[in-house]
Amino acid sequence: MADEGGLWICELCGYVYDPAEGDADGGIAPGAKFQEIPDNWSCPVCGARKDDFSPLDD
Amino acid sequence: MIAGYEHFAALARRLQWDEAAIDLRPDADAWPGVDPQRRARLLALLAGFCVGETSVAEELGPFGDAAGDPNAVACFRAQEGDERRHAAFFDRVVADVAGVPGHDERERLAAVRGLLPADFLELFEQRLPAVARDLGAGRTGLERAVGLYHMVLEGVVFTAGQFAVLELLEDAPELTGIREGVELVLRDERWHVGFGTRCLQDADLGPGALEAVVREGTAAARVWSDVVGDAVADRVVAMLHRRLSAVRPRRETVH
Repeated sequence: MADEGGLWICELCGYVYDPAEGDADGGIAPGAKFQEIPDNWSCPVCGARKDDFSPLDD
Repeated sequence: MIAGYEHFAALARRLQWDEAAIDLRPDADAWPGVDPQRRARLLALLAGFCVGETSVAEELGPFGDAAGDPNAVACFRAQEGDERRHAAFFDRVVADVAGVPGHDERERLAAVRGLLPADFLELFEQRLPAVARDLGAGRTGLERAVGLYHMVLEGVVFTAGQFAVLELLEDAPELTGIREGVELVLRDERWHVGFGTRCLQDADLGPGALEAVVREGTAAARVWSDVVGDAVADRVVAMLHRRLSAVRPRRETVH
């Protein structure tokens, strides 16, 4: 099970969601865990759906 | 932040597909029965991909030559292969489905380019080759070329065209081969755009340079003319804004 506060990567374009940064243009405040993001949020780089992200392993 | 070049090189190796394996026979059977207006718009979009994909495949060489990181070089080379595959797929579609005449790809390109607006042709037949020549001669930097190629041509023009095709196919579900191919092309373009975004992040562009890319992309969203609707054009411009915000300011590297 992925750490809920960890990094998530878009499998399609390589964008990495970092909870420490959030996604200001997407309406996501810093500190928001990936699981807390609304389902209709999309990748800021390629427009992929939230379902296209997976936990980023170090 | 965006993944590192090593990630994209691995992704490129994993996402290979064979354009010749896509079955276009159902599409060829169904094409004559498609609504004539829908068919005309689809043919114009397919023409744009024939011209555009052929051009980007031919002009990408200097990009790889200019990249220093070996994984970035591998990504540019992989992209060249992708673009050639995309060009071959769209050539198959216009030949085998739409019945465009021609003994080879060059003849069919000549036949379909008349369907495209002058601004579209200028972008792919003059502007991109000029930037690629300047890059090869050391007269411009890789970030300038990536701004045009990855952000404007792929991230705006191709993406708008792909969205428009998929929208048209919603009411023509019998065109299964075209849909399958366009979805695979779109999947390739997503990693290309992500990789280009990473290149721009590493170039650490200032606000002025990023704003220039936005201006160019906003204008390019209209080069399809009325073949692509305003809603799709506005959507891809909004995506460009958001994408470029993701590389500003420079952030920590992820490999």
